[in-house]
Amino acid sequence: MYDCADIERLAQRYVDGKLNDEEKMLFEKHLEYCLPCDKKIEFELKLKEIIRIKAKEKFNPVDLEAKLMDFVRKLN
Amino acid sequence: MPTERQKEFAKLIEPHLSSLYSTALRMTHNQNDAEDLVQDTLFKAFRALDQYQKNTNFRAWIFRILVNTFITAYRKAIKQPQKISYDDMEEFFLYKRLDETVSLQETNKEEFLESLFEDDVKEALDNLPYQFRLVVLLCDVEGFSYNEIANIIDAPSGTVMSRLYRGRRLLQRYLWNYAKTRGYITDDFKKKS
Ligand SMILES: [Zn+2]
Repeated sequence: MYDCADIERLAQRYVDGKLNDEEKMLFEKHLEYCLPCDKKIEFELKLKEIIRIKAKEKFNPVDLEAKLMDFVRKLN
Repeated sequence: MPTERQKEFAKLIEPHLSSLYSTALRMTHNQNDAEDLVQDTLFKAFRALDQYQKNTNFRAWIFRILVNTFITAYRKAIKQPQKISYDDMEEFFLYKRLDETVSLQETNKEEFLESLFEDDVKEALDNLPYQFRLVVLLCDVEGFSYNEIANIIDAPSGTVMSRLYRGRRLLQRYLWNYAKTRGYITDDFKKKS
């Protein structure tokens, strides 16, 4: 059984998908009955997603394609 | 006319070009330097293409070259120790801070995250010391695993994990500070007693 301290210790690895199957199962079992931990982990997962979505630059694929073609020409 | 080798190279690069530019932009802070960094990376990669083992992780391979090129080009600048204020030394958990904030008790913490502007998230990242910024970008934005990141930055995975942890604590503090500046969190918030 995991307690709240285990959850805190393993939170980063859980969020990054690095727990093994058994750890993951025990981790999620704790979240099922511990609302404070569940909310906290849900927040960390959401934050990770927000960072990915908001920090990723959106480029025009046509521009990128043109840049790549320019570059390949320079290789001659 | 591009040669076969050039065509093969372009095909390998194409799926990763957007990620390379995005990362270069966050690392250099400006468009022109990001362009230079990506160009230098591609030149080096093209020259080293024979060393790339077919069917291995091309994405990690090209990012490793990007990171090396960045560190070489910015060696002087990144040697300057970036000052971290006394406050920043304290571990900061955004969730906990929001939880302690009276004005946010009733509002959804996830709505708070949604309300952050892209520019705030980018600026918060840009302000991280580069070692932390790099691992957060590689992990959270580009989705690399700890092992891949360890390989890309040439450090043990324990180092990757501790930099990620440190980087996230700082990033969460910066996001909190922006939220206050932007008025998402008003001045009248009080700590729960
Ligand atoms: Zn718990």
